[in-house]
Amino acid sequence: MAEYEDCPSSSDVEEGDCYLSDQEDAIEESVLQGLEDRREEESHWSLSSVITKESLLAAQKEDLRKVMELFALKEQHARTLLIHYRWDVERIFELLDQKGRERLFSEAGVSNVENKILSTSPTPVMCTVCFENVIENAVTEMDCGHSFCNECWTEHFIVKINDGQSRRIRCMAPKCNAVCDEEVIRNLVSAKYPDVADRFDRFLLESYIEDNNKVKWCPSVPHCGNAIRIEGDIYCEVECTCGIQFCFNCSSEAHSPCSCLMWELWTKKCQDESETVNWITVNTKPCPKCHKPVEKNGGCNLVACICGQAFCWLCGGATGRDHTWSSISGHSCGRFKEDQAKRTERARRDLYRYMHYHNRYKAHTDSLKQESNLKETIQGKISISENKESKIKDYTWVINGLSRLFRSRRVLSYSYPFAYYMFGDELFKDEMTPQERELKQNLFEDQQQQLESNVEKLSMFLETDFQFFSDDEVMDIMRHVINLSNVVDRLCKQMYQCIENDLLYPLQRATHNIAPYKSKGLEKASELSVCWDSDQSLTSMKTSLDDHYVQWDPTQNRIGSTSHKRHCEHQLHGSSSSDDSGCSSRKRARTSSHSGASFFDLNMPAEVIDKI
Amino acid sequence: MFDVSRVQKELTECNRDKAISGVSIALYEGGSDLSHLRGTITGPVSTPYEGGTFLIDIQLPSGYPFEPPKMQFITKVWHPNISSQNGAICLDILKDQWSPALTLKTALVSLQALLSAPEPDDPQDAVVAKQYLQEYPTFVATARYWTEAFARTSVAIEEKVRRLVEMGFPEDLVKSTLDSVNGDENLALEKLCSS
Repeated sequence: MAEYEDCPSSSDVEEGDCYLSDQEDAIEESVLQGLEDRREEESHWSLSSVITKESLLAAQKEDLRKVMELFALKEQHARTLLIHYRWDVERIFELLDQKGRERLFSEAGVSNVENKILSTSPTPVMCTVCFENVIENAVTEMDCGHSFCNECWTEHFIVKINDGQSRRIRCMAPKCNAVCDEEVIRNLVSAKYPDVADRFDRFLLESYIEDNNKVKWCPSVPHCGNAIRIEGDIYCEVECTCGIQFCFNCSSEAHSPCSCLMWELWTKKCQDESETVNWITVNTKPCPKCHKPVEKNGGCNLVACICGQAFCWLCGGATGRDHTWSSISGHSCGRFKEDQAKRTERARRDLYRYMHYHNRYKAHTDSLKQESNLKETIQGKISISENKESKIKDYTWVINGLSRLFRSRRVLSYSYPFAYYMFGDELFKDEMTPQERELKQNLFEDQQQQLESNVEKLSMFLETDFQFFSDDEVMDIMRHVINLSNVVDRLCKQMYQCIENDLLYPLQRATHNIAPYKSKGLEKASELSVCWDSDQSLTSMKTSLDDHYVQWDPTQNRIGSTSHKRHCEHQLHGSSSSDDSGCSSRKRARTSSHSGASFFDLNMPAEVIDKI
Repeated sequence: MFDVSRVQKELTECNRDKAISGVSIALYEGGSDLSHLRGTITGPVSTPYEGGTFLIDIQLPSGYPFEPPKMQFITKVWHPNISSQNGAICLDILKDQWSPALTLKTALVSLQALLSAPEPDDPQDAVVAKQYLQEYPTFVATARYWTEAFARTSVAIEEKVRRLVEMGFPEDLVKSTLDSVNGDENLALEKLCSS
């Protein structure tokens, strides 16, 4: 709350219905402040990147290379290791210290290759799977030392690949934990079923997405084919290059400041309209004849359905139509039931509460939809203005104001489902005393209301037909828009801080995390940049993937030589510093973490891209 | 189609030492389908299953031996890892721990081992498992009773055939009827009389 003082305009909003428009100094100050904020944000770089079908291979290679270099391993063993440890290179480094090399490898099913003894028996051997005697060159021995005939191996691989177990095909020997060498698999399978071998390769490639906590498929429908990789905190919201925005943690639409659980409950609630159903069950009774729900509209407990059937409201039983003050013909039943009245009361209150929040949530979502049309209208207005005789040539402030409006509308609309759960009984019944709850609710609602009124004002100014105004009037609107944009941004930021620090952080029983507020809108994922020069190295990597028995040799086969080396070193050593980028433990008090790319464009300096 | 030559070899191999291992495999109901077999295991000594002979239905999937065989007890058995209702078995090597280098014989021997050493923490039949953990003596008594009632009949099957034939029923009919009621002599007699 103390930060309110920093913001000269918001304190005024509380008093009057207009913010400071006559104090030029204050405006300039807040504009300057805004500029500073922007500079501060630009110092952070994008934390998410898009992995397309084309760059998937390159993305994998980065991690594979780190592991191959560290352990001097062949690529296939590095992959087995990475698949087992969910492509978490840092974790592998950590576990190496804790467990030691041997255990690290054996748990992942990587055989200790150094101990391999080559059998050189020239006599025919019996395969213990098909019980046939086979000549020695038709037998393949795995790194774990078990050998079987090639036909049996091939069958085994095909069954496992078709079973969707490509990423961990184990040796055929009973109780052997070793994962089969992918090159042996590829060789044997492709000799007989090339299409299955292709599928196997695709499964291995996609493992980088599916067995990886830091990578997720973009949830677009129809699917754009992309996946998003993030660095740092998984509680964030990203925008794929296909345009869809989503919450990285739960893959549903971006919903902060709601937590993922709140959002899940809310969408479910809105879908099945369970409150309505509740109300119907409590306030109506099914007609004993036509079974339609009947609501009592006053009068005595003899109710007549429109179908003509009369029944007793108290017990629901069918009756005759005649009645006196004290009895219904052909019927008598119990007295007034108190718990019934209580239930009705409760259901009605719950429904009203839900309706309150839902209406406001919906109103802002609808406004957002309508305001999306505003973008085109405003473009039109700008081009008219630009062509007329005027001193004002720069209209970026309109566009900026508009994007601020969209951004804050979103925040505002999602803040209602948040409040519904935060101050309701469903999730946090025993977390707060009624007094605490009231206090916190007031705190939150004050902020929400301030934000709301300023957002509406911003919307109003943006909808003016400024193209027909005089220069002075336009200047005035510009001032309003710029100032309001800053106020709204600040209020959004404060609301997120309030939610994180004052509301969610003190929770004892549950942990709710929300994506941080990004002043410039959701982070657009950048194209994955491969640090060494692309074309040549990509093809050479592809050939090395096809060329099955080529062993990667760190001294000869270095791709992109120096630049690549620098890159790897950077990543190996830079791993510990990646925490600095603002995201760490699950539960934390975030003060000012807003790292993000710009809303409309993502222009990053080359050296920043290099670091990703 | 599964590996016919391997299955044939397995059958010969398994039945060679059935007297020692207590495990044997035959074609199901004397049929000619190599994919449907019937295994027999004897109850391990000093267990409630001692003295019983247990029949197991074995179906070979087309991917055998690269896919595990499907096994199910035909004989009713009281055991935490075997369903008392339908004889379904909960054993890792019949599921994800199957290896193509294992054989029907090794699987049946594992079933024998399972009879000696139940794993009530990974139960197939929750009722039996609860009894095994909480009222062990009752469990032993029930298991023994079930062995007596259901698993001994098949031992003396020739004896029963002989008795029923002596009553004047034709031998073929006696055998098929006994088969259809899982070797229950009284049920077979009822059936034979009513037919």
